[in-house]
Formats: sequence, C-alpha cells, structure tokens
Amino acid sequence: MPSSQKNVKPWFAVREPLSQKRATCLTFLSFLMPILIWSAFSYLPFLWHPKVEITQPGSVTWLQPGTLIDKAIFKEQQILAEKNNTALPEGKPANPVYLPAPHEVVVAFYTAFTTEPKRRSEQWLHESLWHSVTIVFWGFFISTLIGVPLGILCGTYSVFNKLFEPFIEFFRYLPAPAFGALAVAILGIYDGPKIAIIFIGTFFQQVLVVANTTRKLDIALLEAALTLGAKNINLLFRVVIPGILPNLFKDLRILLGWAWTYLIVAELIGTSSGITWFITQQARYKNFENVFAAIIMIGIIGLLSDLILATMGKRLFAWENSRGKIA
Amino acid sequence: MSTFSKMIPSFIAQKVAPVLFGLTAVLSLNAQAKEPLKIGYSDWPGWVAWEVAIEKQWFKEAGVDVKFEWFDYLASMDAYAAGQLDAVAMTNGDMLVTGSSGAKSVAIIINDFSNGNDMIVAKPGITKVEQLKGKKIGVEIGFVGHLLLLNALEKVGLKESDVTLINVPTNETAQVLASGDVDAIVAWQPNSGQALEQVAGSTAIYSSADEPGLIYDVLAVSPSSLASRKDEWKKVAQVWYKTVDYINDPKTQPDALKIMSARVGLKPAQYAPLLKGTKLVSLDEAKTIFKKTDTFSSLYGSSKASDDFNIKYKVYSQPEVLDTYIDSSITDSL
Repeated sequence: MPSSQKNVKPWFAVREPLSQKRATCLTFLSFLMPILIWSAFSYLPFLWHPKVEITQPGSVTWLQPGTLIDKAIFKEQQILAEKNNTALPEGKPANPVYLPAPHEVVVAFYTAFTTEPKRRSEQWLHESLWHSVTIVFWGFFISTLIGVPLGILCGTYSVFNKLFEPFIEFFRYLPAPAFGALAVAILGIYDGPKIAIIFIGTFFQQVLVVANTTRKLDIALLEAALTLGAKNINLLFRVVIPGILPNLFKDLRILLGWAWTYLIVAELIGTSSGITWFITQQARYKNFENVFAAIIMIGIIGLLSDLILATMGKRLFAWENSRGKIA
Repeated sequence: MSTFSKMIPSFIAQKVAPVLFGLTAVLSLNAQAKEPLKIGYSDWPGWVAWEVAIEKQWFKEAGVDVKFEWFDYLASMDAYAAGQLDAVAMTNGDMLVTGSSGAKSVAIIINDFSNGNDMIVAKPGITKVEQLKGKKIGVEIGFVGHLLLLNALEKVGLKESDVTLINVPTNETAQVLASGDVDAIVAWQPNSGQALEQVAGSTAIYSSADEPGLIYDVLAVSPSSLASRKDEWKKVAQVWYKTVDYINDPKTQPDALKIMSARVGLKPAQYAPLLKGTKLVSLDEAKTIFKKTDTFSSLYGSSKASDDFNIKYKVYSQPEVLDTYIDSSITDSL
C-alpha cells in the first residue's frame, strides 16, 4: 500500500476484518439499539402508549386510580362527564402491562435476587438458576458423551453412516416436548425427565452436525495418511479427530445454545423447578417485569458461557485464528 | 482434573444410572413401603392451603411422612396418571376424566368448592344472563367453565344453541374479552379477575357463588395406596381439617395468608380476594357434602353432573361408577 494514500479503511469492505476499535463500537451498539428502541416506546408518551392509566377517577364510579383502560374508552368517559357537567376523569398515557419500562425490569432484576425465601421449602433465585444450569449441563453432557463419538464414526465410515443416520434423520423431526409424559412415566417427576428432554432435543441434531463436520475434513489429509500406512484406529485418532477438533468445538458451542432453548419446556415437565418455575408463576399473575428480568438472566448466562467457550477455543486452537478468519 | 475424575463416579450414580435404568428404579420403588406419601398439588387457593400445614410442620407433628410436590395443574395429573404420585389435588370432574383413561382415584378429603372464583364476565352493557341470548361467548369447551355456563343458561331457560360458543383457552380469556371479539367469557381466577380489570365496565353476571358445589376440589388418592396405608391417610386428613380451621379463623387468617401468598409469589393483600372466592370446607361441612344426594350440595350430585357433562361432550363414552371414586369413611371417622 503506498504511504501517500490515506490510511482509512472503508466501513463496507467484503470479508475484511474491522479494526478493533470499530468492532468494539459495533458490539456495543448492537446491544444499545434494542435498549434504545425499548426505552423510546417506554418513556416517550407520544410513542404508542395505547392505554390510559387513571390518576383521578373523577365522577366515573367504576374507575380506580391505577386502572389501565383503552384510550378510546377513556375519551368516551371524558366526553360523557363533560356533557353531564361532572368531574372529569384524569389519566396519563400508559403501555399495556406486558411491556414494562427498562427501569422497572432493572429493579425487578435486583429484587429477584435479594428477596429472601419466605417458605421453608423455597429457594433463593440464584439457587433456582443454578438448578436450571445443572439440568442443561447434564442433558448436554450425556448427549455429547454418546453423540460426538457416534457422529465421528458416521462421518468417517459409510457403514455407520448407513446404519444410524437414516433413523436419526427420522427421529430428529419428533418434537422433544412430545416425550414429556412418557419421560415422567419412566424417569419419575424430578430431574430425570427434564434432563431426558434436553437430551432428546440435542442428541439427534448433534450426531448429524458432528458427522457433517467430520465429512468436511480435507480428503487430502486422509489420503496422505493412508499412503503413509495409517490403519483404522490410528487414522481415526491421529488424523480425523485432531483434524476436526477446532470445528467440533465450534459445533458444540452452537449445540449448547440449542440445549438451552429446550430448558423451559423441559422444566415444565414433572415438578415445577428452576428458573421456569419463577417465569411461569410470575407470568400467571402478570408480573411481566419479573418475567423480562428472568429472560434476561438466561440470556446473560448463555452469552457469558459462550464468551468463555469462545476464549477457550481461541487458546486451544490458536492455529485456526492465524489464518485471518472472521471470528 | 482430579476433581473432575472424582466427579465421574458420583455422576454415574446420580444422573446416568437413573436415566438408563429409570424403568427398573420405578418398578423397585413400588416394592418399598417406607417411602413418604407423595402428593401433587398446584396453584389453586384450596390446594395452596396445604402450604400452611407444610410450613407449620403439622405433618411431622401428626407422625406422618408426606412429601408435597408442586406442579402445573396439567403436569400434576400427568404425573399421577403415570403412577408417580400417591395422590393429587384435582377437581371432582377431572378426577372422573383422569379415571376414565385408567388412572382411578378415590376422593377422601374435600378441600373446597369454588365460591365465586369461576365467573361469567360480560362486556359493559350486559348485566344479566338472559341478555346473553344470541351473543358470542368465549369459553374453553369441555372444561369446568363450560359446565358453569350451561348451568347459568339453564337457570334462565336458555339452551346452549341460543348462544355462540367460541373455544378460547382459559388463560387467554381476558385478552379475548378486551379485544371485543366476544360479548362474554367464562374463566376462573386469576383470569376472571384480570378480565374484570382489563375491560373497564365489565361485570361478573354469574359466578360459582350462584351455584355452590358445581365444582369441588378434592384430594384424590390412588386406591392401592389408600388400601395399604389407610392409617397414614387418616392422619393427613386430620392435619387438613386442622389447617382449614386455622385459615378460616379470623385471628390466624393473616398468618395463613402470609404463607399462602408466599407460595404463589403474591402479597398477602393481593391473595385475600382469591381466598374469598374459595370456600374451604370444615370437617362438619365436609361430612355433609359427603352425604349422598343428587343436588350440588353433595359431592355425589356434583360428580353426577360432571359425569353427564363429560359423556355429552364425548370426553369419555361410558358413565363412571361414582361409588368407586368417593370414600367418606376417613372424614366420617374424624
């Protein structure tokens, strides 16, 4: 690059990595945008706000301070009161109860963790959350224990491919929650059926994804190894597995996210437990700020675990990143 | 690394083994008699009431080993039907439905009857059941709300064909009424209360308080558990009626409300109206309700009405033998 040219890279360059500063800036923005939109809808009274929150019922007997009613009905009542020359009801624009404002959710987030358990059998929220994390972990762990070896075999040998994949292809279309009642009948009402649902939701996809990754391994590597006299077991452990390891790690990161998405349905099966118990109970009584807070908690846990895994991946497979790929 | 390898054997013992050998575990479980009585309950004031006895440790006091498991209502019936529970809290109508598909049970305790919590909520302008003629009504067809609606229509000489029924899941009724697509909805608390709150000017034109006993809530025990451990169930019944007295006594009610509201995540003041719409029955009242008559003031009469309703709407095809579902002997002996 001639030094006379201005050293400013264009923002829109196909498959060119951005500078560190720009990348950080955009990451920040990707979170800021939804929060700004949410704040706008919550705090700007002229934006949306289809309801009216009554502050002064005036002469309208059936209204109470704090009631939410439709704008149209509120106007009707105002006109009616005006006609009859009675006290006007007063109110301010409000959103429906299912859209709490950001600050309400922040408060709910904080109080959810600081509220002491009131009953003997109740848990702190972080204990419930931890319980959910363990459910996901075991479901994913058991699935990986069987799914990864099976996937590698299917991707390497046609025998295993033809023996297992057709059935797995069939089974992966069956919705995991459909096995809920069956899982309870076999595994009881506690963690067993919940772990089983996460397993069913993850395992079949996992085998196929891993098999596919294995198949993508450069054939030249295998040919070279064969030429040099590598035999089955050696080939598998010294060529195939090391060859796919970086991509396998990426697959597992994605599949872990997949396992998380089954958490809520899994925890609805059997006894109510974990973060799902908190979410469903709060939703039933329309405490949506708590529901939002809990959803955000799950998001944070997911994001953090993914960040940790991504950093681990960079350390473990340093040679992958040196190729200048977009992470 | 070493901690991880230490984890593996315990992992196999705790997690993998039950997953792989769950079936054998369940089979062998049936052979053990020392297990606590396992009871499933869910979010309804008459069942949240158990929480008072649990919190006060009255079961321990009475010398009976019970374990209460909290479920979503449908999940609790599934778990009972799968043979995972000794007893479950159900309505008498659902007890028949669950029994018709194989999981029989026996009602030994009457918890409560709905006394206003189930309502028909109509939009502004409709104040009487008679006015429903020709109107659209949102209701979960084939469930207790439907039964309540038919009961209301019958009382004013209307037939089901005089109104248009729209099938709406009960937990969406409030939004459906607010949308204006229907003229009235049928729901129970907390959904009925939300409908009243969300649709300003709407009124409850009929409620379960107008026909007490249409829906009873009971403790439905598995026949085999009842036969083999009747003494223990008797102690459970004793604790229950003690709990009812504690909740109904104005002096101790605030304390009870505190415990119950904590179970569902509400404030005591928010829970008070829900409790009011539920009539918890005392021991003497329960004895009367267990007497066999064909009115709604008897568990038999009420269950007969549910049975007829279930057959009419093809929930199941053969009438259930009600005598096998109701056993008043424990309550009567107290």
